[in-house]
Amino acid sequence: MSETKNKDSTEFWRWQEYQRVIKEKTWKDKDIITAGVDVGSVGSKATILINGEIYSWGIMRTGSNSPESAIKVLDFAMKGTDLCLDDLKYVVGTGYGRVNVPMANKAITEIACHAKGANYIWGSKVRTVLDVGGQDIKAIHCDETGRVTSFLMNDKCAAGTGRGMEIFADLLQIPIEKIGEVSLNVDKEPPPVSCTCVAFAKTEAVGLLRKGWSKEMVLAAYTRAMAIRMSNLVNRVGLEKEFVITGGQSKNAGIVKRIENVLNVETLPSPNWETGGLDPMIAGAIGAALFAKALYLKNQKN
Amino acid sequence: MKKQNTQKKYVPELSQKEIDELSNSIKTSSQKIVAETIKRMKESDKNRPKTMKYFDEMADLFGKREKEIIEAKKSGKKIIGYLCLFAPIELILAADAIPVRINSGWYDATKIGDRVVPVEVCPVIRSTIGAKMVSLSPFLENSDAIISVLTCDAMTKLGEILTDYTPIWQMTIPRIKDSDQALRLWIEEIKSIKKEIEKLTGNKITRKKLRRAIELTQKATKAFRRLQQLRKGNPVIMGRDAMLAIQTYIWDDVERWTKNTNKLCDELEKRVKNKDWSVPPDTPRVLITGTPMFWPDNWKVPSLVEEANPKGVILADEICSSERILNDPVGVDEWSMNDMLNAIGERYLMASTCACFSSTDGNEDRINWLITKIKDHKIDGVIYYVVRGCMLYAMEYTRVKKVLDQLNIPVYYLDTEYTREDVGQMKTRVEAFLEMLTARIDF
Repeated sequence: MSETKNKDSTEFWRWQEYQRVIKEKTWKDKDIITAGVDVGSVGSKATILINGEIYSWGIMRTGSNSPESAIKVLDFAMKGTDLCLDDLKYVVGTGYGRVNVPMANKAITEIACHAKGANYIWGSKVRTVLDVGGQDIKAIHCDETGRVTSFLMNDKCAAGTGRGMEIFADLLQIPIEKIGEVSLNVDKEPPPVSCTCVAFAKTEAVGLLRKGWSKEMVLAAYTRAMAIRMSNLVNRVGLEKEFVITGGQSKNAGIVKRIENVLNVETLPSPNWETGGLDPMIAGAIGAALFAKALYLKNQKN
Repeated sequence: MKKQNTQKKYVPELSQKEIDELSNSIKTSSQKIVAETIKRMKESDKNRPKTMKYFDEMADLFGKREKEIIEAKKSGKKIIGYLCLFAPIELILAADAIPVRINSGWYDATKIGDRVVPVEVCPVIRSTIGAKMVSLSPFLENSDAIISVLTCDAMTKLGEILTDYTPIWQMTIPRIKDSDQALRLWIEEIKSIKKEIEKLTGNKITRKKLRRAIELTQKATKAFRRLQQLRKGNPVIMGRDAMLAIQTYIWDDVERWTKNTNKLCDELEKRVKNKDWSVPPDTPRVLITGTPMFWPDNWKVPSLVEEANPKGVILADEICSSERILNDPVGVDEWSMNDMLNAIGERYLMASTCACFSSTDGNEDRINWLITKIKDHKIDGVIYYVVRGCMLYAMEYTRVKKVLDQLNIPVYYLDTEYTREDVGQMKTRVEAFLEMLTARIDF
């Protein structure tokens, strides 16, 4: 596993970029090798599938240039696999930058891809998917095949998204990966901050810190407000079990716990990517690669 | 003394220099948008009907029609603007005056309107105020009087604000439509507007003239219905082309519009014969409902739907800037003055599906319209379009969704503002919805 992070970094918002290859898998020329490239507003993800089964993936920060980020993250996912671009039979681009994925044969929205990917990661019993991305939140309802039946997306405001969390990590000087744990480290849950707008919430947080609130309390109050906002979106789309969370914020235990609490439902546990499991952050890229396989086969038939 | 008379109740005084600068910059950017939008409309349908050329020309708000209106005004004709579809245009036509609808579709004009009302107010209203403040709209500028119908809250105040510039004739619309006293009140309003029109124009609205005006709009409705009939089968025209053709009716000459719409229908009928479709027949068929969408800037949603990947095609709508303009004719039994006025009253009040009414059946007229159109036009999915601040349509969504859920028709709530900034995010939402519809048809 390759990693890119300076241990003594003072960039608290910076999360870990990494790549993984399933070592026990191999590939032959006749295999259907497909890729999904999910260029999000904050993170870019790429996944390689062999005959519809996961082989490798990579996650990195999206740069200012979408096509470049797409190329970089796909290269990252193929690192140490002997694969090259020509071996990929079909590539689907998704995410905010989906139309700017140069090697993609087709673009599909991240909404369809996350539902499909969640279906792959957790199985056919998943009905509701909450994808908390870098810049937006989507509540998706799907059927047993991972096909979208309805969805809702927040407006252009970044409240409760990954970007908002990064701003709070910086403000409170807590590494982004620790933010969930820290927010749960309170004796009593404080009332949520009243304003969900990131800019105003930041002002409110500074006020609370001045009043003598601990970092943990402030973070708990912000996280709770975000969890309520996300839960409202889930309720509006209609919560049906099983319920899962994808996207970067699925790794934020503070968010997950509070959503479960507000909605009075348990999410299906996320596989632990640090111990070799799949990463819910790549659900969109997995979905895209699965669509790539389906589209490749469809084209072969015609 | 004189100063007191001209003191404005709402709007701040702007210098002529500022007015000219703002108006020119909005006009320039808007004309760019119009050219770009029409170019994209042509590109997305390689086989675009040739008869659309006429409507493209009419779509230039600073072109032929502006000149005609200025000429007509010089020759002594009166121009009467209106803000809501409830204004009885037959009476305006019968007095030999020109009716023009004056709601603004300019995005950048909202920022000027923001100086008068807060941003929470519906952008259609803010934009219309802004357009008036900088003398942007040729139709609004040339209006000798404006009919303001007190429909939604924002419209109610808009008329009041515009009294700072132009004589405003207010009409009270009853908020309950299915009662005898409501219709009686409304017909009284129609009669008093008739007097105002006669006074301004100096032309008496005679029985003969009114009959001719009614017959003129009846013919327009007939042409419109012919077009709609053609949109029930495989797509022979893109939705945004049809919507543009329909919308030009609100500022075009009625007779000429009817003639050109019939020409468009002739061409489309040939296409049906030749099986010459605008998009593959399995393209998801969309209906749009909700807040009105005004040319030139606010063509965002139709463009997103019909340029999306996967593509959708709009076959019908239920908005007051499109199909609702022409859906219902004035139905007259006896051509007496009294009967004609009653018929006009009934047509404008009873046939309206506007969300400004309250009824114990939950706006069943609108629900029935939607169900009928969904069946007739074989709609796969509905886009419920709302601009922020449009309270009534936002509230009725819950009702509409309940009904459509029962019919198993997917509906998507698409909320936005008068801005281009959210196009990327809206594209994701529209495309995901169309993917969902495609998946129902195909995968």
